[in-house]
Order: sequence, then C-alpha cells, then structure tokens
Amino acid sequence: MTAEGMQRSGAGTVARRRPMSLWRLERLRLLRSRRLVVLLGVFTFFGLTGPMLARYMGELLERFGGGVTVTVPEPVPADGITQYLANSSQIGVLVVLVVAAGALAFDATPELAAFLRARTPVRRLLMPRYVLSVLAAGTAFTVGMLAAWYETQVLLGGLPVGAMLVGIGLSWLYLAFAVAVVAVASALTRSVLATVALSAGLLLTLPIVGVVEPLRRWLPSHLVGAPDALLRGAAAADYTMAALATAAATVGLLLAAVRMLRRREL
Amino acid sequence: MSVQTDAERALVATSQLVKRYGSQTALDGVDLQVPVGSVYGLVGPNGSGKTTLLSILAGLRRPSAGRSEVRADPGRVALVPDTPRFDPWLTAWECVDLARHLTAPHLPGERVDAALTQTGLAEAADRRCGGFSRGMLQRLGLATAVVSDPELLLLDEPCSALDPAGRREVLDLVAGFRGRATVLFSSHVLGDVQEICDTVGVLRRGTLLFQGPLADLLHGHARAGYALRLRAPVEPVAALLARQPWVTDVDAAAPDLLHVGVSDTDDAERHLPRLLADAGARMVSLVPLQPDLESVFLELTR
Repeated sequence: MTAEGMQRSGAGTVARRRPMSLWRLERLRLLRSRRLVVLLGVFTFFGLTGPMLARYMGELLERFGGGVTVTVPEPVPADGITQYLANSSQIGVLVVLVVAAGALAFDATPELAAFLRARTPVRRLLMPRYVLSVLAAGTAFTVGMLAAWYETQVLLGGLPVGAMLVGIGLSWLYLAFAVAVVAVASALTRSVLATVALSAGLLLTLPIVGVVEPLRRWLPSHLVGAPDALLRGAAAADYTMAALATAAATVGLLLAAVRMLRRREL
Repeated sequence: MSVQTDAERALVATSQLVKRYGSQTALDGVDLQVPVGSVYGLVGPNGSGKTTLLSILAGLRRPSAGRSEVRADPGRVALVPDTPRFDPWLTAWECVDLARHLTAPHLPGERVDAALTQTGLAEAADRRCGGFSRGMLQRLGLATAVVSDPELLLLDEPCSALDPAGRREVLDLVAGFRGRATVLFSSHVLGDVQEICDTVGVLRRGTLLFQGPLADLLHGHARAGYALRLRAPVEPVAALLARQPWVTDVDAAAPDLLHVGVSDTDDAERHLPRLLADAGARMVSLVPLQPDLESVFLELTR
C-alpha cells in the first residue's frame, strides 16, 4: 500500500488515503472540526439578514414599537451593506479570532506541540495555519458580502461594482491583520481562550487610538468602515495609508510571532 | 592511533548541564553520556528531572548553563512524550504519515503501514484518534517515532499506560532497536529498565547519581545475604539472628520474609541452618539475595 493507497471506511466504502502535509493538516482542521462551516454560516447569516433588516426596519419598528411613532428615513442600497458590516465586523470578527486561535495557539496543548515542534521549525508550522485561517475568514466574509449584495440588489437596488470590490479587498487586508494579531497573541499566551481575549483586546484598542485624528487614517481599524464609506462616495485613495500600514503591520506581526514562538520553551 | 573516549563514542553527551525554573533547579550539573547503539535507561523518582532532560535533548527547552550535544541528524531524533496527543480528528494513519512527511519525506508511504503494524495499530489505522485510549495513544506516539527510521529515540515513560500485553510488545519493540538506533528510555518501572537497558543513569533531584553499564551498577551494590521465608511469626527469629556476630543486618521485608545481611558467607552457611532448627523456626525457603535494580535504586536514592 502506498501513501496514496486505499482505505476502507466504517461503512464499507473505499476511499483514497491522501499524503499528509502541514497544509493538508490545516485543510482537515477547517473541514473536519466544522470551523469552516461555522465561519460560512455566521457570515452568510449576517449577509442574508442585513439587507432585510435595512429594508424592513421601518415596518418592524412600526409594528413592534408599542404605539411610539419612529420616523425612519427611506433606506438606500448602501444601507443593506452597512447592516451586514455592522454585524460582521463585531460578532463575525470575534468568530474569526476564535477559529484562528484554535489553529495558531498550538502550544496550548504541550504534548501536541511537542509532536510538531520536535519535528519541524516554528516558521514552517505557523505559515499554513496563518494562510488558511486568513483564506477561510476572507472567503466567509466574501460569501456573506455577496449574499448581502444580492439581497440588497433585490430589495433596495443596485450597488457600484468597483466600490464593492475595493471594499471586499480592504476587508481581506483587515482580516489578514486580525489573524496576524492572533498569531502574536498566541506567542504571548498559552491558551486558546487567552489568545482570543488578548487579540480582541488589541483589536478593540485600535479604534480608541483612532480617536486621535492624524493617527486614524494610518490605523488598520480605519479599513473596517471602508466598504460602507466607499459605497457612500469616499475615494479609494482615502484608504491608501491605512492599507499600506496594515500590510506592513501584518508582516511585522508575523515575523514577531515566529521569533517569539521560536524562543519560547515548551 | 587515537583512542576514543566515552564522550567521543557517545551519541548524546551533556556537560555540566543545568536547568533552572525560577528558584527551582531541575537539573544540576548533569554529565550524561549515551553510547551509540545502546538502550539507555534513565531512572529516577518523580520530579528528578527526567522529562526536563529529554526535552532539552529534543530541542524543546534550553539549558540554563552547561552544554548539550546530540550527534544525530536533527530529522532523525524522535521524542515520544509520556502522554502523546494528536489532533482528534486525524486518523492514526494520518498522524503517522504527518510524522513521516515532517521528518523523512523521502521514505515511502509503506513505512506508515509498517510502523502501525509494528506498534499493533494496523486495525485502527483508519480510525480517528480522538476515540483512542491512553494506551493506544502511547502506541501511536511510538508509531510516529519509528516511522522515520530514527537514529535517536527519546522515550518518556513509554509503557506507563499500557496493559501487560501492550507493555510486553513495546518492550520488545524498544529492545529491537539495540544496535540499529540509540534509545534513551525513562521509566519508573525498574523491572522494564533492568530487562531491556544495557546502560543506566540514576537521576535524583537533578543530579546524576550513577551512570554506566547495568551490570556494573548491580555488581557494585551486590551484598552478601539471604532471603529467608518463614511461617509467621518472624520477629523472634529476627531478634535471634541480629545477635549473631556474622549477621550485619536483618530487615523484615514482608510479614513472612527476612532479608539477612551477613559479613561472612562461610559462617552463615555453617551456622544458619542449626540456628533456625534450634529456634524451632518453620522455614519455607532460603535463597541468596540477588541484587536487583529496584533495591539498588532505593539504596542510591534513599
């Protein structure tokens, strides 16, 4: 039997055995532990419910407002995406942090870490975990965005394609940064829970720092509102500095994570 | 012609190795020498520093002082912790193939099946290891180690969770490495170490008390004496023996067993039978005391 030989499953069917690698390990982690399903489910749910809430908010408040009259402005197409982004940038990002921490905090189980770290350098371990976490998060965000786009188109009207695509691209960059923050947090702590808490704390700190106006345009958190602002007429060039700073910070965080994890003892 | 020293012949050599965790000293000046091709048994009570030493040799921890040298290809050094863990959604085959991929990608995939068969896991190859017992995980840990044809095998309590049959298989597997690979084997089960190891190191509180061939350790601590099994009560006989000039010590090892140390075996052989007969003792058996690793270990670490 070869590495690509056959295996007989419990149901009696025959399936192929595929050779293992650190990249396949991460693909299996996302698929078999249902993490990808959870990510897709959360973002798709927000994508489907966001435009609906934007479209029917007036009616809902009228029906359940208990006699109080609330005047809601007539929704515009951008409101469908705004509602999706409001949910995905909070609960959605928190789910991304949890999923990424589950992969990146590999020292949380020392015996498991011993198996991997005694056999391969940290850098080789970290890269597939980082890249596939970003791919999973970005894909889930994009699927949710596409769902929100489709529903907005049906319920509220069309959206500018260029602004939508640039907005999705900038959101991918922010998610890549968020996962890099998880990588550093995993090097500073020794549990999945602590990694999530530290990452969330660091990401929440950025908008607070962004209160200082000159800094705001350079911060990764500036990218969170980019898709919405672009739909409302902001220029893509307004996000150039934040995009460059985010890309640089992401690379820096990953290098720092590798360095810290390499120095850390089990 | 140059003559190789012990240190030069060793696959693993440490020099004045120290490891501190804060104010605690886990290893205190350890000079370990593991000969090439040997099965080296590292014994010591809990907290003596065995796991720390193995972790340093595997590159997972750094010494606080001293030097550690492993003269093996880093890809051919395999560590098996006492409680191996794997991602629970991986099958046994996938865990072993991942180990092969990481350390010996040039080896064919057939090695994975061979390693699983060698460790008694062939039937469970396609089962997810999340449902494995601790014993099965220990076998899986061994399979991930042997798949890459290791030059140095670091085993931390490899039999601690195995049933007697599993223990037997693992001991045979480890013993089979003699001459093909170098094995550093830590264990609490001194009988296992005595059975398969040719060299031993006794560690206590981070200090290596003895290191060398097992035979030297046992011979060096051999003492003249007898194990005397009697029908109870044994106390009157023990008191009588203790008064004899040729008896050095009398220990009640069990309610019906006395360990009698003697200064002169000639005197003992001449006087002991008559003494027991005169005392009216009901003797079940009388055998010379054989030094075993357990008694030597207890004597060294007392």
